[in-house]
Amino acid sequence: MEITVSNQNDVTVLALQGRLDGLASPQLEQRLDALLAGGARKVVLDCAALTYVSSAGLRVFLGGAKKLKSAGGRAAFAALTPAVHEVFELSGFLEVLAVHPTATAATASLT
Amino acid sequence: MPPAVQLLSLTSSLAEIPRVADAVEAFCAPLEPGPRDLLALQLALEEAVTNIITHGYGDQPGHAFALELRREDRRVTAVLTDDAPAYDPLARAEVDIHAPLAERGVGGLGVHLVKKLMDSAAYERRDGRNVLTLSRAFAPPAP
Repeated sequence: MEITVSNQNDVTVLALQGRLDGLASPQLEQRLDALLAGGARKVVLDCAALTYVSSAGLRVFLGGAKKLKSAGGRAAFAALTPAVHEVFELSGFLEVLAVHPTATAATASLT
Repeated sequence: MPPAVQLLSLTSSLAEIPRVADAVEAFCAPLEPGPRDLLALQLALEEAVTNIITHGYGDQPGHAFALELRREDRRVTAVLTDDAPAYDPLARAEVDIHAPLAERGVGGLGVHLVKKLMDSAAYERRDGRNVLTLSRAFAPPAP
């Protein structure tokens, strides 16, 4: 999986590309933890190029959203592909995570 | 299309996850599957394989287990056989997928996804081995 980080004012955008499986998910967790430690509080996870997520990836998404929330920040998810949307839906994640149709909308929701 | 069978020997390492995904993709290729069917099977197998490695073998490397893939018409069946202590992953309590964020964990979510994504999932303890059989009928190919 490829993770590309960019900043728009005080919003950190992580563009995820590829497959977030049990082998790749620790990489994202470490990245999110490092950003949080570095002071990031508004984080967009742009999933437009994320083709696959398993429960290991969901664990990192949920953990990241919770850690941000307890630090006074927020996470927003954007542009789920159909396969990832289905996994979010089956897991009830559409109800507990902020999901937006585009990265632009997700960024706007945090500002 | 004639029925086909493929056997894979796996070892107790999470590095097997992408290898299983690639094997599933290659095995299903003659069916020209849609992404939903393919990803569903890859996801169910990742969850099941991860369970065997973490719960069955306690994250200890060096254990061998087997995956058999079968296809008959458009039904794809995967059978995982391991010699870890008896463990029925399907017997886990149902997760509450409607709990609020603060109360949400992800324990049991993998098994929940397996049950949702497969048409059938069955466990049995046979000859001192755990045998998990997962099956999904793939949609007709896109015209």
